[in-house]
Order: sequence, then structure tokens, then C-alpha cells
Amino acid sequence: MRPSLVLTIFGKEWREIASNRLLLGVVAAPAVIFAAIPTAIVAFIQVNDIDMSQLGQIEVMLAAFPDLEPKLAAQGFIVTNFMAYFLLIPAMVPIAIASQSVIGERQARSLEPQLAAPIEVSELLAGKTIAAALPAVAATVGVWIGYGLINAAIADPRLLRMVFSPQWIVAMATLVPLICVLSVLLGVIVSSRVGDPRTAQQFGAFVVLPIIAIAVAQFLGGQATFSMQQVFMGDMVVLGLIGALLVIGSWAFDREEILTRLG
Amino acid sequence: MISVQGLERRFRSVTAVHDLSFEVPAGTVYGLLGPNGAGKTTTVRVLAALIAPTAGTVRIADLELGADNRRIRAMTGILTESPGLHERLTARQNLRYYGRLYGLTDATLQSAVERHLELVGLTDAADRRVGGFSKGMRQRVAIARALLHEPRVIYLDEPTSGLDPEAAKSIREVIAGLRDAGRSILLCTHNLDEAERLSDRIGIINGSLLAEGSPAELRRRARPTETRVELDGGTVDAAALAGVMGSLPFVRSARAADARLWVELADPRRDAPDLVADLVARGARILSVSEDVASLEQVYLDLVGEHAHRDPEATRAA
Repeated sequence: MRPSLVLTIFGKEWREIASNRLLLGVVAAPAVIFAAIPTAIVAFIQVNDIDMSQLGQIEVMLAAFPDLEPKLAAQGFIVTNFMAYFLLIPAMVPIAIASQSVIGERQARSLEPQLAAPIEVSELLAGKTIAAALPAVAATVGVWIGYGLINAAIADPRLLRMVFSPQWIVAMATLVPLICVLSVLLGVIVSSRVGDPRTAQQFGAFVVLPIIAIAVAQFLGGQATFSMQQVFMGDMVVLGLIGALLVIGSWAFDREEILTRLG
Repeated sequence: MISVQGLERRFRSVTAVHDLSFEVPAGTVYGLLGPNGAGKTTTVRVLAALIAPTAGTVRIADLELGADNRRIRAMTGILTESPGLHERLTARQNLRYYGRLYGLTDATLQSAVERHLELVGLTDAADRRVGGFSKGMRQRVAIARALLHEPRVIYLDEPTSGLDPEAAKSIREVIAGLRDAGRSILLCTHNLDEAERLSDRIGIINGSLLAEGSPAELRRRARPTETRVELDGGTVDAAALAGVMGSLPFVRSARAADARLWVELADPRRDAPDLVADLVARGARILSVSEDVASLEQVYLDLVGEHAHRDPEATRAA
């Protein structure tokens, strides 16, 4: 694989993404929503004189952070618990970009001239994957940093240590990019079989729903955030799924298959 | 430069191309004609190393298809059936992207892009998104893309499709210039006039090769050249004359319609003066004498129609 060609393909993809306002909205909207909801709750708790004993699951929150006063413990629980939803950004955004890219190219019939060039299919796929994954990684990390700083500014600087915990640093460095790759692969494979980007994006539920289930289970189980062990376990599961999709993808994105089926 | 021997390509149970053989030497244009579904696009895709043949051998220059595919792609320029441009990019960005894919360096890329934008007359529109271009403008960008890296072998699928007559003429001049510069060009088209004007040799296919030759050879092959004689209708009976002509030793056949005679001569150039002398001697007043040669369109329609009639299953499969 030649990095210069991958970079060229990435550059072209990036130009197309950057010129598509609708797609940029798809990238920005979930990131902003997932960060805004808990931040609003934290701000609400901060500015209002709330009887903490009336707050649902307050015992669970206090148990999660026994060293903190009730108000900050509740804010800390909300801030860290909602962070699981940040994993929805790498699950949702890349599949939207990848399916738009592949189906867009199918509709414009621009895959054939690219494949007629002296490039390998793997180089084309790598360029597309990076271009689809990078905005999601950047959005997730950017929102994570902003989220930590804003909530610390609203409530208490001690929230910084909760948001930028070792397990979330590892999750941002490993789990988020891996989920992005999984999402891109799913987007590419599904896009090779359906003709409408929206249909392809609906298949993102296969990635999105398990993450929501984990977030809900975590909340109901009274766990404020992931443990390091759970992050590594998540890495392994996603890696396994990527391996399976790579096998399917290598068949679905074969040069002949693209031309004779996707054209 | 291009050598195809016994090419076959099947898609499951459907045979798109069967036993196809032809050569395209350097500095020539080979016109590939055939109805929709005849296997033209499949042939081009195989030759461009995009899909593998099921059987047969293909050599491009000294390279063998299958073993040297990346090098073959690097020396090949292809104008696909549909322009296939990146609509959100400008014409210049499209060309720069493909220039890089074909390995042009920064030093050569800029000048190659500008030169080819000028070649297709799009310098002024170079920084506009191609999504807003007309069909003809898109086609011109696609042509520039196919030629950008100065390929030695060029495949052109309907190059003047969607172009106005002036632009089509300029593209034909570009193709002729490329041929004169020693490139091997395979031209797929439905425009028979264009094929006849540009091609050194023509292959008519419908799954397999139905006929091949220079345009003149193909025309002659369709039916013998006839000598057409326009008569002054008031002087003689053309039908009666046709009957008499049939008995002359140098006449193979003769027929008449209105005040015209069509006479097949043993050797038109040698026998035409004798024919005229004989007709005048019989009291005919001759307005004009000309050779009536079959058009390429007639040749094409005869061959494709005959093939469809003889082998309807094969025609459908192709």
C-alpha cells in the first residue's frame, strides 16, 4: 500500500465531505446533542437549590463517589455516565459518510475511472476509511475535551479528573477509532448492496443499539463509567467484528465485483 | 500495441464476449461497433485490466494482461461510458486528483492539467464544480482525464456523445492527432460516420466478431459495387434496357427503378465506358453515371440483423 496514494484519495474525499453541508450537519449534530444534554442537567443542578435526597438514584450516585458532597457526586455521576453515549458518535457518523461516499460514487459512476488508474482497491478503501473515520474521531475527541472543560467550569474543577480519566483516555485512543473503522466497514459493505444512503445508515443500528444497551445497563447497574477492563474488552469485541467484516468486505469490494455489480 | 486472441468473458451463465481476436498497432484507430449489449464495454474493461478474461490472451505493448495489470493501467487512458466525475470538485480538482492517481509529479501535474483543460476548451470553466456542468462539458472533462497522463493506449467509449457538432469536430481532431502521434486507440461508438472517418480498421461485434476490415473493405464485403445510371426518363424504357443489359458479357446483373439503372459490372472501372457506349447506342440519354457503394451503416445493419436472425439466443446473452 502506497501512503502517498492513500493520502491523495483521502484528500479528494475530504474535499467532497467539506463541501457537503448536510453531511457536516450529520457529523456535528450528534456530537453537540450528546454533550449538551448532560451539560444542561449539570448546569441546572448547579444553579438551582435542589434537595438532593429527591434526586432519583441519589444513593447510587453517592456510592459511586463517596468522597464528594451529594451535589457534586450527582453532577459527577451524570457527567461520567453520559459519556458512554459519546461512543455513538464514532458509530453513527462514519457509516453516514461512508455510505454517502460509496453510494454517491455508484450514482455518479465514478468508481470505474478510479479503478482504471494504477491503484489497488485496498488503497482506495483505506483513503475512504480514513476520510470517513477522521471527522468522527475528531468530533468525539473535540466534544470530549470541550465537555470536560465546560462542565468543570460550570460545576467544579474536580470533574476534569472524572472526564479525563485513564480509562477514557484509553477509550479515546483505541475504542473510538476502532468503532469508527467498524462503522465505515459496515457502511461500505451495506452500501455495496443497497442503493439509498438512508437505507445504508439504518444498518448503523447494528453498531448503535449495542452501545445504547451498554449505556443503559451501566446507568441501571449504578456504574458511573467504564472500568479499564471493560474498555479493553470492548476493544477486543470490536476488533473481532472488524475482522469478520474485513473478510466480508474483501469479497464485497473486489475490483470486478465493484464494476459488474456496483458500476 | 494491443493484441487480443480468443478473448472470452462469461458472467455466470451469460457469455458477454466469445472468441474475440483483433490487433491494434501503434498509430492506428480501431473502431469497435456493435449494438447495445454486444460486449463492447466488457471488452474495454478486460483490456483496461479492470476485469479478468475467462479465456484468451491479451497483450498490451509487451505486457501480458493478468501478470502486469498495474503497469497496463498506468499506460492506459480510458474514457468510460459515463463521464464518472466527482461532482463536488471543480474540473481542475478532478484532473489534479486523477493526475496524482496516475503518478504525475508536482513538477508535471500543473502543466499537464492546464494543457488538457485548454485542449478540451475548458480553461475558463476550470474552477467551477462539475456538478453544474452540461453533459457536453462533463464529457470534455472526462476526455481530458483520459489523456492527462499521456497514455500510449487509449480506450474511448462514445467520445463525442453529448457534444455539439463543433465540440465533436474538435474532439475528432484530437483523436486523429493522437493517432498521428503513435497512440493505439480503441474507439467504441454507435456513430458509424465517426467510426468510418476515424478508424483505420473496424470490428463489428455482437458477442463475437462478426466482421473486420478497413471501412472500404467492409463496404465492399456487404454487396458488390453497382454502377448507377440516371437516365432521361422520356427517351427510353429503363426496365426494358435492364433486361437487355443482362445479356451483355461484362454485366453480371442489372435492375431498374423509375428512370434509373443499377448495373453490376465485372470490373466497374474497366467496363463502365463500354456500358455507357452501349446505352447511348440504344438511344438512351444519360444524365449521370456513378458508383453505388454500400454504406457502413448498411453493412452494420445487415451483419447485426443477420446475426440476430441466425442466433437470437446468442444476441440476447451478449
